[in-house]
Amino acid sequence: MNTIRSSSFEQGAFYRELVQTHGSPLLVLDALKVREQYLALQRALPGVSFFYAIKSLPHPAILRLLGDMGAGFDMASSGEIALVRELRISARRTIHSHPIKRDSDIRDALRFGCTTFVVDNVDELLKFLPYKHRVGLFLRISFRSKAAVVDLSKKFGCAVEAVSDLLCLAARLGIHIKGLCFHVGSQCADAGRQVEAIDACNTLIRHHHDTGAAPVSTLDIGGGFPVAYDLGQVDIDGYCAPIRRALDALPAYVNVIAEPGRFLSAPSTTCIATVIGKAVRQGLNWYYLDDGVYSSFSGQIYDHMHYPLEVFSDDVRRMPSVLAGPTCDSIDVIAEDIPLPELHMGDLVAGHMMGAYTAASASDFNLLKKAKFIVLNDSTTAPSNRENSSVKAPFLTGSGVDRKIH
Amino acid sequence: MSDFAETLYDSYGQAFRIDEQLFELKTEHQHLIIFHNAAFGRVLALDGVVQTTEKDEFIYHEMLAHVPLLAHGDAKKVLIIGGGDGGMLREVTRHRQIVQITQVEIDQQVIDMCRQFLPNHSRGAFDDSRVNIVIDDGLNFVSQAAERFDVIISDSTDPVGPGEALFREDFYKACKRCLNAGGLLVTQNGVAFMQPDEVKATARRLGGIFNDWHFYSAAVPTYIGGIMTFGWATDNPELRRIGIETLRQRFTQSGIRTRYYNPEIHFASFALPQYLLEAIGKAGHEYHS
Repeated sequence: MNTIRSSSFEQGAFYRELVQTHGSPLLVLDALKVREQYLALQRALPGVSFFYAIKSLPHPAILRLLGDMGAGFDMASSGEIALVRELRISARRTIHSHPIKRDSDIRDALRFGCTTFVVDNVDELLKFLPYKHRVGLFLRISFRSKAAVVDLSKKFGCAVEAVSDLLCLAARLGIHIKGLCFHVGSQCADAGRQVEAIDACNTLIRHHHDTGAAPVSTLDIGGGFPVAYDLGQVDIDGYCAPIRRALDALPAYVNVIAEPGRFLSAPSTTCIATVIGKAVRQGLNWYYLDDGVYSSFSGQIYDHMHYPLEVFSDDVRRMPSVLAGPTCDSIDVIAEDIPLPELHMGDLVAGHMMGAYTAASASDFNLLKKAKFIVLNDSTTAPSNRENSSVKAPFLTGSGVDRKIH
Repeated sequence: MSDFAETLYDSYGQAFRIDEQLFELKTEHQHLIIFHNAAFGRVLALDGVVQTTEKDEFIYHEMLAHVPLLAHGDAKKVLIIGGGDGGMLREVTRHRQIVQITQVEIDQQVIDMCRQFLPNHSRGAFDDSRVNIVIDDGLNFVSQAAERFDVIISDSTDPVGPGEALFREDFYKACKRCLNAGGLLVTQNGVAFMQPDEVKATARRLGGIFNDWHFYSAAVPTYIGGIMTFGWATDNPELRRIGIETLRQRFTQSGIRTRYYNPEIHFASFALPQYLLEAIGKAGHEYHS
């Protein structure tokens, strides 16, 4: 269920101003929020190198900012490589993390200069025979997590029992496996499964070392770091405490990396949609917005997340209501049977925490235009694009809307 | 101050200080950069891999030009595939007996850019009246060409990237079709110590097409990881066994001044270390046949 917040009409002034200038629907990306999240994760996991999972939100402003802050990048397709190349990010700071690749994907990555890849089975390993002298691979292991909202160990990853054989085969073929990796899932409720996975990898790495083989010297602990979709806060430091303890037990020569996506991008972006139609059906107030689940709200389908919504009205009455998207399909409903004040044509609805897996999976079904992005507090672009840099979104500054949370 | 770190290998590589960036071309398909480095002069890198530097290019260009041309001894028509920087053309034009030099480069921009930013590579060779520049895909050219050549020089990039087609069997077959009787093909073939599969694959392909094939070598410092190999393929086995006296005579007669090549180097460059002979399947029998 979506968390609903009713704010005063006045509190919507900032968004109304943005929509007046830039149109609707609108995605407002605040670069400061990305910076805060990155610093928080760095503090929570000292010594870990982060590779931003581009897929969660491939927006140049995020990549530029994280690049400036020293982050690496986790790419999974030739399109993502092209984006990184365009932004002049060094290939030395990238990894290609898709477990399944065509030969052309491998060649595109190598041409770009990325030499780190991921495999999880024999067929995929064999694809690297022609490039074995150039690459270093991660072996992806499957650790199923019931606690994750998005289980990433179902589709990819080899069984723990298969690791030893795959490492031996790779060594026989002369293909260098330099690390292990896993993804317990995204938006995990607690770090328990991650800790189990780290412990299991620790055992595998030490066992492998004991055989006298070349050391497996990198552990990629994936992503999965949670954010709050209920307008609350996640204590990331507390969440990571057991992970820190597990990592401390690794041999000293093991480098640890992680691939956060959602944690860095989700809080950065607010979607602003406009009421473009109204109806009363079966006792419910229906409001049709100019953005829906085929576009910015697509994460409610693919990513199984329900974003906190905010409406702006001084009306104190609440009526059972429905928020629907603009397409002709009946599945295009954002929230059903939620208590809302009466909304009027042209009123705005804001969706918060909408940076990750939202715009990234938006379609233009019905040939409806996707929401336009604007970037606040973007210190990395050319001066001509910095006109918004002094603008502060109220929900990010502790004034305005944020007061309602505390 | 920034550095250029080569991204050819995952766990090993060379880095250059960029003292001055002179040119950069970044497209969806490739990233080309030319910069000045105190130790190596101007450096050209494509997709993160060093292609040529002013300091050590002479080794590569002299060996890939003079070895086949002096072994042949009477080449009149020469074909260069690739070589947009003009270094190969510079060395080939030094041979006075050559009547016609055709160079096939896929991208006019590369030539223009190198004439501007790496002028010491071509040193005016593009203006030689014997030179005919064709802008075409190398494989396409040799597949279609009606002309025949005495020596073909494949001055390509690496097989991962734009030079891919120039390592394929159909390219070698088409080259053979374009050679006059007793003609000779030489190719850039990478650093076999680091990438033995490349030399293995070329050996297998050349072996099925030409009567006589082999590799010769030279150490080019910025092609890191050991000696670079050059492919050698012809139907005339005598070309590989030209006596050193004949080579000295031809070299003296040519009047060419070199900094790496000499007849002794030429002769010795066909002697390959055992790991390489093993890779190309010639360990044990090459010197007994």
